[in-house]
Amino acid sequence: MKTPRFEYHAPRTLDEVLNLLGDLGEEAKVLAGGQSLVPLLAMRLARPEHVIDVNRVPELARIDERDGALVLGAMVRHRQVERSPVVAARSPLLAGAVPFIGHVAIRSRGTIGGSLAHADASAELPAVARALDAELLVRSTRGDRVVAAESFFLGHFTTALEDDECLVEVRVPAWPTGAGWGIYEMVRRHGDFAVAGAVAMMALGDGGTIADARVSLFGVADVPVRAQAAESALLGQAPTSDVLDAAAAVAADPLRPASDLHGSSAYRRHVARVAVRRALADAAERAKEAA
Amino acid sequence: MTDLIGARNVGARVKRAEDPRILTGRGRYIDDVVLPGMLHGAFLRSTVAHGRLRSIDVSAARELPGVVAVFTGEDMAALSTPAQAGQTIGMTQVPGMKLPAVYGLATDKVRFVGDPIALVVAESRYVAEDALDLIDIDVEMLEPIVTYADALDPAKPPLFDELADNVAYRGEMALGDVDGAFARAARVVTASISVHRHQPVPMEGRGSIGSWDAAEGKMTFYTSTQSPHMVRQLLAPQIGVPMEQIRVLSGDVGGGFGLKNTVFREDVAVAVAAKALERPVKWVEDRMEHLAAGGQAREEMADIEAAVTADGVLLGLRMDNKLNAGAYPSDPFPGAMFVNSLATAFQGPTRIEGLAATSTSVFSNKGTYVSYRGPWATGDFLRERMLDVVARELDLDPLEVRRRNYVVRGEPPLAMLTGQPFAGVTTRECLEQAAAIVDWDGFRRRQAEARRDGRYLGIGVASYLEAAPGPRVPGQLRGGGILGDETTHVWLERDGKVVVVTQQHPHGQGHQTTLAQVVADELGVAFEDVEVRYGDTDVTPYALVATGGSRAATMANGAVLHASRELRQRVLSLAAELFEASAADLEISDGTVAVKGSPATSMPLGELVRVVEEEPGRLPAGTDTELKVTRVFDGGEGGWSGGTHVCEVEVDVETGLVHVDRYVVVEDCGVPVNPAIVEGQIRGGVTQAIGAVLLERSAYGDDGQFLASTFMDYLLPTTTEVPNFEIHHVDTVPLDPDVNFRGVGEGGMIVAPAAITNAIEDALATLGVRVREQHLPPARLLELIGTVPAE
Amino acid sequence: MTSQGGATTSGQAIAVEVNGTERAATVDVRTTLADFLREHLGLTGTHLGCEHGVCGACTVLVDGEPVRSCLMLAVQADGSSVVTVEGLAEGNAMHPVQEAFWESFAFQCGFCTPGFVMSAVALLRENPDADEATVREALSGNLCRCSGYQTIVEGVLAAGRKVREEGAVL
Repeated sequence: MKTPRFEYHAPRTLDEVLNLLGDLGEEAKVLAGGQSLVPLLAMRLARPEHVIDVNRVPELARIDERDGALVLGAMVRHRQVERSPVVAARSPLLAGAVPFIGHVAIRSRGTIGGSLAHADASAELPAVARALDAELLVRSTRGDRVVAAESFFLGHFTTALEDDECLVEVRVPAWPTGAGWGIYEMVRRHGDFAVAGAVAMMALGDGGTIADARVSLFGVADVPVRAQAAESALLGQAPTSDVLDAAAAVAADPLRPASDLHGSSAYRRHVARVAVRRALADAAERAKEAA
Repeated sequence: MTDLIGARNVGARVKRAEDPRILTGRGRYIDDVVLPGMLHGAFLRSTVAHGRLRSIDVSAARELPGVVAVFTGEDMAALSTPAQAGQTIGMTQVPGMKLPAVYGLATDKVRFVGDPIALVVAESRYVAEDALDLIDIDVEMLEPIVTYADALDPAKPPLFDELADNVAYRGEMALGDVDGAFARAARVVTASISVHRHQPVPMEGRGSIGSWDAAEGKMTFYTSTQSPHMVRQLLAPQIGVPMEQIRVLSGDVGGGFGLKNTVFREDVAVAVAAKALERPVKWVEDRMEHLAAGGQAREEMADIEAAVTADGVLLGLRMDNKLNAGAYPSDPFPGAMFVNSLATAFQGPTRIEGLAATSTSVFSNKGTYVSYRGPWATGDFLRERMLDVVARELDLDPLEVRRRNYVVRGEPPLAMLTGQPFAGVTTRECLEQAAAIVDWDGFRRRQAEARRDGRYLGIGVASYLEAAPGPRVPGQLRGGGILGDETTHVWLERDGKVVVVTQQHPHGQGHQTTLAQVVADELGVAFEDVEVRYGDTDVTPYALVATGGSRAATMANGAVLHASRELRQRVLSLAAELFEASAADLEISDGTVAVKGSPATSMPLGELVRVVEEEPGRLPAGTDTELKVTRVFDGGEGGWSGGTHVCEVEVDVETGLVHVDRYVVVEDCGVPVNPAIVEGQIRGGVTQAIGAVLLERSAYGDDGQFLASTFMDYLLPTTTEVPNFEIHHVDTVPLDPDVNFRGVGEGGMIVAPAAITNAIEDALATLGVRVREQHLPPARLLELIGTVPAE
Repeated sequence: MTSQGGATTSGQAIAVEVNGTERAATVDVRTTLADFLREHLGLTGTHLGCEHGVCGACTVLVDGEPVRSCLMLAVQADGSSVVTVEGLAEGNAMHPVQEAFWESFAFQCGFCTPGFVMSAVALLRENPDADEATVREALSGNLCRCSGYQTIVEGVLAAGRKVREEGAVL
């Protein structure tokens, strides 16, 4: 399991990265944390002619707050997020989801931008981005564009990124005051990719009814799935067990996940429903505590 | 725990002699060996399950800079002699056993995904893999043989053209009074029980380096093995070099679990390449090669009819057993042979009176079946699962059923149907102690309370006996055969150190520690002054199987015990001459021989060696001055290992996830030489069983594609799936006057799958779940519960 | 040194501080950090158990963080500080984690051990008070096939006690 030959580029600035991408386009792969790309290289499932290593571009590795939003550079590492008081305060769901990614040594190197651009539909962060309506700043020598998470994930390992574009930063909108969050993933072992999983956010209004709810699922389709019908069903309701159950059913019933080694389509749909209910229950619990 | 001066070593938790080098990164595993001028090999492997090799074009690969050679099946046919696996242990003489001769590389056909087709030898592994990309092969696809039904369908193509069908072995056996048992039975309970394909997966895979000395006509072969002499013996006829001209060297081995008691086709190819090129060739398999082609095990099933009394006593059974042996027979233990063990290992500590079995092994387009930590384990699984099936059928508690079925020491029957005596069996003591520790009745109350809260708890119990090495059978000679006598050399050096040369080849068992503990006690020297050597066939005693079958505890410890005693006598008699005293008045302690009560008359053992070698005139003429002892040990009176395991689980019935809440082991391995090492073997074995039941499956698609080729698909247990274990030792019944150490290598792995599956069924029985298979991943449990439809 | 935007296919010069010593080498750009340590520097204590980032046997510290050295290119370590299992002991005195593993019978065949030791060192440097659940979580990315993990976990907990009670320095 040795990597095939490639040309290696280690640009020091974002401009250099964009120029290389502009020149090389589809022949190049961007090497971020490497926790997905390097195994694919070792298995020779990826055979890029050029590898553009963006690890030496400091401007991509910052965590900022801007206009109430949390702004994460694409090369912010998962461990950096885990340790960041700013993230914990500004986006508790993101902070809560990151420890579910792989294992410590994976998170030492793995990056926020790498996870999103790799677009593994059974990974946690794409679902978090969908739930939080994150915006992705994408740049090329042709200019900038901002892509909503909703439009970013197109299929398995496929995103709206053009060959010459680089994901630069992720903007996470301000966290609603008092909102609770939850994540549940059904995994065979701690740290594995999810067989099915869900993240949820919930804010309670006057009288303890649900004022805002977000649910998205991972591991159930070729893209992360936002369960808008379930969210609508929750609004205005008290977060009782029956209400959460019903919403979970609404979220899971339309799903048609693929069968694989770890479970049939029916199984995955079933545990997706369980995951939604458990994530919602945790979110409700936290929202009540905050209220 | 560490300070043992003056204390006995045997029975103590002596820190391992192996550990400092391993902990500081100075272990020497196969990939750590670097030889001058060494080349690196990589195998092109089949990506299809079954096909005829029409052509292979390696010209572009040969031209790649850095590539030294590419070997194909045609080259192997020219440079080597094909092996008939199992010949060494007499398998070719077994009626009904089919053993096609095979080369190191595929010649005419490919027979599984991972089958080696070509060997590239290059200046680096990176370049060798580059060259694999340049090889063109043309394969005519053939219908894949995947299931038992495929293999037994006469309309489907045979894997081996020279054989009429895909039956690798067919046999029948009958033990005891089967018809009488069924005649006396109140009822017949039937079950069809299967075990899925899974595999040993040592953390260090396979690997070898061949190094040919053309001037001497000598092959030096470095390899990761459990049995260095086996490698030498089996390679010899295939590579055309006499066994005496092959030296096998093996250092630290990163786990084996039975797998590395095999000489692999890749080993042959590597040796052939090294000889042809006259340069050292290294091949270290990567994990994907290992999972696909390193060897798989256990795919077995049994259709059982059990004759049972109204009280739940198993009187006898009729079994129809099958084993899927995969593509090629392993050498020297062809997988097909293990189907007989489903029947022979079934009895265990039970009182069954008769058993009849038909046994069928089949070839298939799957990875080759290898021996894995108790290759008879399915026999134990079937028994302990069947006892629960009977209990459920008769509405009896599984613990009570076991009380009724397990033998009581000293009461009939006194021997198994195979003739092995139930001497010293402590199964009943283990069972009762385990039941008391877990408070079996109290668990039932907790289970009922939890059920009211919607929580599903379960408890499972299972017991085993392991012939490690088993008691002496009246009228039968010990020794000989596959697991023969044990030979060891022990001698003194001038620095006072004692050197032990063992035929064992430890790969995690800590023999450098345990053998030294025994020697230190017997000779009266410090543990640190005993050096245990192994792994060089030029100096170690011959053994076809070095480490395997849990033999070291009795055989190796026994051999060094007796050798040390002889050496002690030799030291005492020489010192008696030098001191002009009676040997009976001497003692050895702290590495010094002295007259009892007169420490002034003493001599360090190293000084004794010097006197013997340099000043023999101080001794009377004709004195036997040999201080090098070789002893052969036949196992003495031997004895059983055994015990009872109890597992408690909680099943999340919404997801199917199983949590192992508690795991209790009560076991009897005689006197544990080093309890910490014994307990490590048990925990490791049970952990592999947790993997087998909950996580691990060598999965194949209907087309014979291998679906578990990475560690993201073949799931090993991790820290978060495995509980802490509670291990208790019962008082053993000694059978031998001197050697009552018994093996524990397989114990955990052979009994735990039943304890765990029994616990899971117990948790879910009220939901109608009846378990008839060993692999119970979450998705399958929800199918059994009925939450989701079965695939 | 890494070229600024210039492409390299092979033979790139790098300088890495390994176990406190500056090591300069020229490596093929596709060489993993693990292969660089093992084959260029002869530091064979770092083991390769899967080469796809699951088993953790190749775990080393890069600038103090535990990483899979099979998932990092050697050229990416240019200018970094790397600590391997060979870099923990001081002369003949084993590191407290190594000592604790020895005393706990933490392992059997030892192939996975260097990765566990490095993961444990990283954990305890950050959190010497780690409890059993924390230790198990932190080690869940390292596979062992022999031990059943219990004694490894006990070894890490014992090393933590050495820090707290005996002032051992990690």
